[in-house]
Amino acid sequence: MDTDFCRKEIMPMEGRNKLEIKKLSKVFINNDSFEVAIENVSLDVKENEFLVLLGPGACGKSVLLNIVSGLLKPTSGEVYIDEKLSQGVNSQIGFVFQNLGVMPWLSVRDNVAFPDKLHKVPKKKRYERAQKYIDLVGLNGFEKHYPRQLSGGMKQRVGIARAYASIPEILLMDEPFGQLDAQTRYSMQDEILKIWNQNKKTVIFVTNNIEEAVYLGDRIILFSARPMTVKGVYDLNDLKRPRDYTDSRFLDIRKEISNHTDLVIK
Amino acid sequence: MNAMMKNSRVYKILLNILPVISILLFASLWQLASKNGGIIPTPLDVYRRAGRLLVKPVNNISLTGHIWASMKRVLLGLLAGCVVGIPFGLLIGWNQKCCDYLKPLFELVRPIPALAWIPLMTLWFGIGETSKTALIFTGTVMPVVINTYTGVRLIPQINIDVASVFGATEFQTIKEVVIPCSLSAIMAGVKTAMGTAWIIVLAAEMISANSGLGFMIIRGSDVADLPLVIFAMIIIGVIGAVLSWILTFAERKLCPWKVEIN
Repeated sequence: MDTDFCRKEIMPMEGRNKLEIKKLSKVFINNDSFEVAIENVSLDVKENEFLVLLGPGACGKSVLLNIVSGLLKPTSGEVYIDEKLSQGVNSQIGFVFQNLGVMPWLSVRDNVAFPDKLHKVPKKKRYERAQKYIDLVGLNGFEKHYPRQLSGGMKQRVGIARAYASIPEILLMDEPFGQLDAQTRYSMQDEILKIWNQNKKTVIFVTNNIEEAVYLGDRIILFSARPMTVKGVYDLNDLKRPRDYTDSRFLDIRKEISNHTDLVIK
Repeated sequence: MNAMMKNSRVYKILLNILPVISILLFASLWQLASKNGGIIPTPLDVYRRAGRLLVKPVNNISLTGHIWASMKRVLLGLLAGCVVGIPFGLLIGWNQKCCDYLKPLFELVRPIPALAWIPLMTLWFGIGETSKTALIFTGTVMPVVINTYTGVRLIPQINIDVASVFGATEFQTIKEVVIPCSLSAIMAGVKTAMGTAWIIVLAAEMISANSGLGFMIIRGSDVADLPLVIFAMIIIGVIGAVLSWILTFAERKLCPWKVEIN
């Protein structure tokens, strides 16, 4: 019955690359000046992996996600999905935006059903499907609310449910919890891991928060400040889940990363 | 005012009868002011004149006939203004090329008051209904276009990005994002246009017409029938208020996600 979930039944080939970024650079040109945002970044994302991209604010992580999603064109380099060159918007990709991007004129239900509406799924069917993802993110009871009636955390859940409802194979999350208060942030992190466990997808999660990166990621890719280059890759697959912020191994990794980072408070 | 008082029954009743009180107060002040002078008719004069309208209609057209004559011109002109203005505003708001080509021309035509078109309209369409509707169209299309255009330009990029990422075609982006997102700006334009339409219809009817509220005013003025003039003015005020209320109601129905600041 559930066609949405059947993809997850396909056993992931261990170590298979879902997405590859090859020698990607992005230069912004305004009038007579230019700015290198991304310089020669290459990275692989494994199938069903939770990959965290960690870097200082405004370093170009969002630009990278926008290129992967097809919203921006790279200056040079390529993005491959399932070993095929990806150009433009790709239907395999779902996006959770930093600035929420929930449509203020749509109810929670219509927001979540928005991708399906674009794909001309009949109303009844798309509401049924939306309901599943609304339940998944714990927003049941708020289906008919408008975004303005929701808290920041709830709006972000709408964004997450909508991304999931587009049945992506790759989920891009651009600092989704950046604007939330600490308490909500912690609970949303657990929430997102719970959803990821129930409904495995390849996730690329962008953050500038080291703690969040270590808590969530299978792997962390550490970036430098602009122009963005890869500074290091941390494999956290041996760090058991659920993770504990106060675990000594957790703190060691956190320290190690923070010693190597450009994350500075300006 | 504290919350308890705001919720009390007395306050609610007061809130309901306050408009009535203010109107009555205005009418009695008017009565007092006009009693001795004789130039300005009293409210009672106006009331009696209104009664006489039922027996002896102006130019053999009943009051509702005159109202409908004006209303028809306003609504037709406004409708034409919206039918042309909204798509045009969407076009120059959404498409940069079209904006580059058409906006300068539009900006040149826009400052010309609709009434300046009267000679040309008369030349093209004569002095009948068509020229009046065309005149109202020129007046209403401007605010509708400008508001639609501004509404489209103010759409946050993120909402358009969301549509793109989830695979919307350009047509879908316009239908699902651009139009709903700029709807309240469009409605504001329509409201402004409605006001403009009434100004123009009155002016047009005062120049040449044999029906309508503007005609009633000019007829009253011609035969020194001031009660008739004032009665027509009151009717215009009431209709304007009702129409604006209807538009506000329609906006609330069309844009339920908006909250008004009270």
